[in-house]
Amino acid sequence: MLSSNAFVDPGKMKDYHYTGPVEHRFSPYSFNGGTVLAVAGEDFAIVASDTRLSEGYSIHSRDSPKCYKLTDTTVIGCSGFHGDCLTLTKIIDARLKMYKHSNNKTMTSGAIAAMLSTILYGRRFFPYYVYNIIGGLDEHGKGAVYSFDPVGSYQRDTYKAGGSASAMLQPLLDNQIGFKNMEGVQHVPLTQDKAVQLVKDVFISAAERDVYTGDALRVCIITKEGISEQTVPLRKD
Amino acid sequence: MDTFCTVYCYAVSRSSPDICSLTRIYYDAGCDDLSFSASNGVVLATEKKQKSILYDEQSVHKVEPITKHIGMVYSGMGPDYRVLVRRARKLAQQYFLVYQEPIPTGQLVQRVASVMQEYTQSGGVRPFGVSLLIAGWDEDQPYLFQSDPSGAYFAWKATAMGKNYVNGKTFLEKRYNNDLELEDAIHTAILTLKESFEGQMTEENIEVGICNEAGFKRLTPAEVKDYLAAIA
Repeated sequence: MLSSNAFVDPGKMKDYHYTGPVEHRFSPYSFNGGTVLAVAGEDFAIVASDTRLSEGYSIHSRDSPKCYKLTDTTVIGCSGFHGDCLTLTKIIDARLKMYKHSNNKTMTSGAIAAMLSTILYGRRFFPYYVYNIIGGLDEHGKGAVYSFDPVGSYQRDTYKAGGSASAMLQPLLDNQIGFKNMEGVQHVPLTQDKAVQLVKDVFISAAERDVYTGDALRVCIITKEGISEQTVPLRKD
Repeated sequence: MDTFCTVYCYAVSRSSPDICSLTRIYYDAGCDDLSFSASNGVVLATEKKQKSILYDEQSVHKVEPITKHIGMVYSGMGPDYRVLVRRARKLAQQYFLVYQEPIPTGQLVQRVASVMQEYTQSGGVRPFGVSLLIAGWDEDQPYLFQSDPSGAYFAWKATAMGKNYVNGKTFLEKRYNNDLELEDAIHTAILTLKESFEGQMTEENIEVGICNEAGFKRLTPAEVKDYLAAIA
């Protein structure tokens, strides 16, 4: 693009494009990368995230997981702008405690999801730059996944990928868990072990192609017994 | 009307008003009502004496639903009650908006009682001239709460409010036990109401509300008539 300043010489062809000095506006956001994934099973749920924290071409940390434990039956995965991820999880924790003191009971996954939607929409005109996915067990003990957009639109899913490599993971999950675009295949219900293995495999694939995803994978498995964690190494390049 | 004078008198007649005396005044002029928590539900019952036979009784109610699973009744000033019913309904919906879960009865009572307390401390307002009985069902359990003009609230197994609350409570103390079923509770509630009732009790001059796992419901006059027939 040619700019209209002293460099314009009418009649002469331009050899190069030079925009001149540009003042950069301060941006309140930055993108710190990371991918999160959640899968709901019959009596379990899995929330997984990579542990790389980046900015531009730099890596801030190779060990910054994006899964945060909320209750004994709920884990949230937050990716996007790390500053907003931290603040949002602090606010959710505070609201959880307030609810516990007031209601004398722990918040259910569905209630946390509904509340998060109102928290996010409360900042409709200066959003939390966070892609959230909640995974946990509902009141009946069945696996539940709730996925959000930055301003609070949400729905309950069986599986969902969010963050930088979401476009790579989601189609793969659609095929392997949703049995989409496959003909003549028996719909076998997903077992916990198969689900964990699938999650590990898809993240390894994502780390191959997405620069923001890699270093390590943290998998949180939520069952009625509690929350167990596994860490698996990923490509470091 | 009686209640009106009493409210305005309290500032004059009480030399050192404290919260306890404040509440007592409203009881003097209110109508009777009582409620009962059974093992599988709650019943609210109140008399609804109209001043003239020309009144259309079905156009105004004392027993009001707040949500599908919570209802309430009052003793005191009807207009003040209406305001609190609207407030309670709004508070219940606000809770649902955030948590997508029906508001627990105790939470609603806390919020309504906070509103009543505000009106004892803010400037330019007077306390609400009602005591509320709030009945609800959540997490497979019945709940019964009373909320006073002071903003204090109490949970009850069974209670009576209004003119003859002393006799009512004594009667309930004798008749109450933990294993009472809802049907028996309704029967007992109506009997208790009859103790202090002047004149003939018909389905037009009492109101009964029940709350069980199916939710809260105000009984229709036809249903009330059936229960009345049982005690005749």
